[in-house]
Amino acid sequence: MGIGIFSLTVTLILGIVFSRSLVSRIKRKSPSNNLFIEPTLDTSTNVMVEEKPTSRPRKLPKSKVGFLDTLRVGVSGIKTRKLRSALSALGITIGIAALIGVLGLSASGSADLMKSLDALGTNLLTIRAGEGFGQNQSELPSTAPKMIGRINPVYEVSTVSKVPGSVYQNDLIDDGRTKGIAIFAVDLNLIRAQRGTINQGSYLSEITAKYPTVVLGSVAAERLGISRVSTEQMIWLGNKWFTVIGILDPLPLAADLDRGALIGYEIAAELLGHDGNIDVIYVRALPEYIEDVRSVMATTVNPENPEEVQVSRASDVLQARVAADNTFTNLFVGLGAVSLLVGGIGIANVMVIAVIERRNEIGLRRALGATKFHIATQFITESLSLSLIGGGAGVLSGILITSIYATTRDWTIVVPLYSVSGGLLASLIIGGLAGFYPAIRAANMPPTEALRTR
Amino acid sequence: MSTDIKENTAVYLKDLNKTYPGNPPVEALSNVTLQVSKGEFIGIIGASGSGKSTLLHVVGTLTRPTTGSLFIDGIDTSNMSDGELSAVRSRNIGFIFQDFFLISGFSAKENVENGLLYSGVNGKERTRRAIEILERVGLSHRINHRPNEMSGGEQQRVAIARALVHEPTFILADEPTGNLDSVNTKAIMDLLTNLNREGTTLILITHDLEVANIAPRKVTLKDGQIESDSSTQIENNLV
Repeated sequence: MGIGIFSLTVTLILGIVFSRSLVSRIKRKSPSNNLFIEPTLDTSTNVMVEEKPTSRPRKLPKSKVGFLDTLRVGVSGIKTRKLRSALSALGITIGIAALIGVLGLSASGSADLMKSLDALGTNLLTIRAGEGFGQNQSELPSTAPKMIGRINPVYEVSTVSKVPGSVYQNDLIDDGRTKGIAIFAVDLNLIRAQRGTINQGSYLSEITAKYPTVVLGSVAAERLGISRVSTEQMIWLGNKWFTVIGILDPLPLAADLDRGALIGYEIAAELLGHDGNIDVIYVRALPEYIEDVRSVMATTVNPENPEEVQVSRASDVLQARVAADNTFTNLFVGLGAVSLLVGGIGIANVMVIAVIERRNEIGLRRALGATKFHIATQFITESLSLSLIGGGAGVLSGILITSIYATTRDWTIVVPLYSVSGGLLASLIIGGLAGFYPAIRAANMPPTEALRTR
Repeated sequence: MSTDIKENTAVYLKDLNKTYPGNPPVEALSNVTLQVSKGEFIGIIGASGSGKSTLLHVVGTLTRPTTGSLFIDGIDTSNMSDGELSAVRSRNIGFIFQDFFLISGFSAKENVENGLLYSGVNGKERTRRAIEILERVGLSHRINHRPNEMSGGEQQRVAIARALVHEPTFILADEPTGNLDSVNTKAIMDLLTNLNREGTTLILITHDLEVANIAPRKVTLKDGQIESDSSTQIENNLV
């Protein structure tokens, strides 16, 4: 918050100083201040002379306005027209809020994703049977887990086998409405390999795996409408009753398991007649060697037909998501920039109207001794203040949006500092540009014109 | 030529001409020579089209004469830049307009402070002097009121305070009572007369004879030229 206010003030001051110098530079280049230049008759020589004589009248102190007063005068224009100023600044507010919101949410989401990746590790390999050459679906050899275990850096191997059959809340539900829940026979170390966490109850153990017990993935539990674990909680699985002993948290590295009902291999064979063919193998190896392990995996699993083995890094999916998010982020940043442009046009519009509307005030100030420079500075300050107030409000709103959304998603709130300073800088530039032309017009208005009431 | 101007001359117009471009060009002022001493109260009367607006603008340095010179407090404004003329206005001239031209949304005090804004006077000093001047014109009860909370007469008095606050060489009034009823007109003219008695130099431009008659010295303007000058001691034969 302190940084925000500080940078707001700094950018406002810089903006005023910069535009004052810019305006004076342009003023020096502009044509003579005379309204009507006519050759005059030099009475001493009776010659028509066009240049002004070089002698100057005695030096008068110039009319000057202090910096603080400049600020006050510029801001007074906003204070006396609060509603209209608020509305015209709103465009900038929305644009900056959108930009900061997008960047903040993307950063918070990415941070959260990175945290997940750190926790889950990038050293998990997923091995599936690929499309066979001339066959429908090849299988993973049953010797595969043992062979993989022999690779030195590998420290965890866990298998999953799909069991045909459906899962229902009870035995009264019509066949067919399966809710997309699959039955998987799994190893006891699966959760450890996945670094998954239990939401309710417990995972399969050596003992419970021998009995009709089942652990539900997070999505499966939701679809079955089961949110609590108890000894009475039973489901109709593969035409048999199974007791739900645990519900898992989502497994980011194996999303299909979320939709699964996990049972032990032994009970699958005993009750459901499952053959135990391995469908997926999860492998954890030491991170430094993961690529080496990956390169030998296919031949290790199926020495005769290594091309029938699909090896992938489970975390690649997550990292791809981060990249995809970035693409979306860029899109929204572009939209935010467009919104800012529109906001800037809004301010320019208001400033042009203000100059016309306050014609008399301009004339009055000129009569009071304001120079063209003072008039221009007044309007540029007003424009800068307008856009910086809008930008500041936008920054606060953007941070608020990010905070609220990130909190509901349980992310850490991350708002990149560059987005805040970038947002304020953008406001400054827009305010300066929007106010520039109206300010010059106001300054060059002849005082006699400005004082007319008709 | 400036050495011929007397010490106590507030404004000196010398052979002033103002022609506006056009087809044919419009001669708004021709050969106007006029001298106003410090402490004088001069009423310039002219009908619409007589050139009185142009005269006001020229004397107020809001526009430059085509030929001729304008001396303010002895200073030749002929070759001044826009910045220098602004400085002259901020220190030497006080304006009063028919439409008051107070800034709405500002209090009376803040409006009067504006009269010192461009003279390099700091905030506290401006406030102090503004309050002092408002008391002098009898508006101490209106210091924090906005223009829309005041009557026309009071608004004009605020404008007069604003014109006085920087102690200018002279006050230039353009139809100051044009938007006021007869009661307020009298009040304002009384105020101006009192101010003049206290030493303020006043140049009042109007088309209203009744108003102009209050001024001790009357100058009539017709077709861009001075038709008559009631001042019996005309001091413009200087060459």
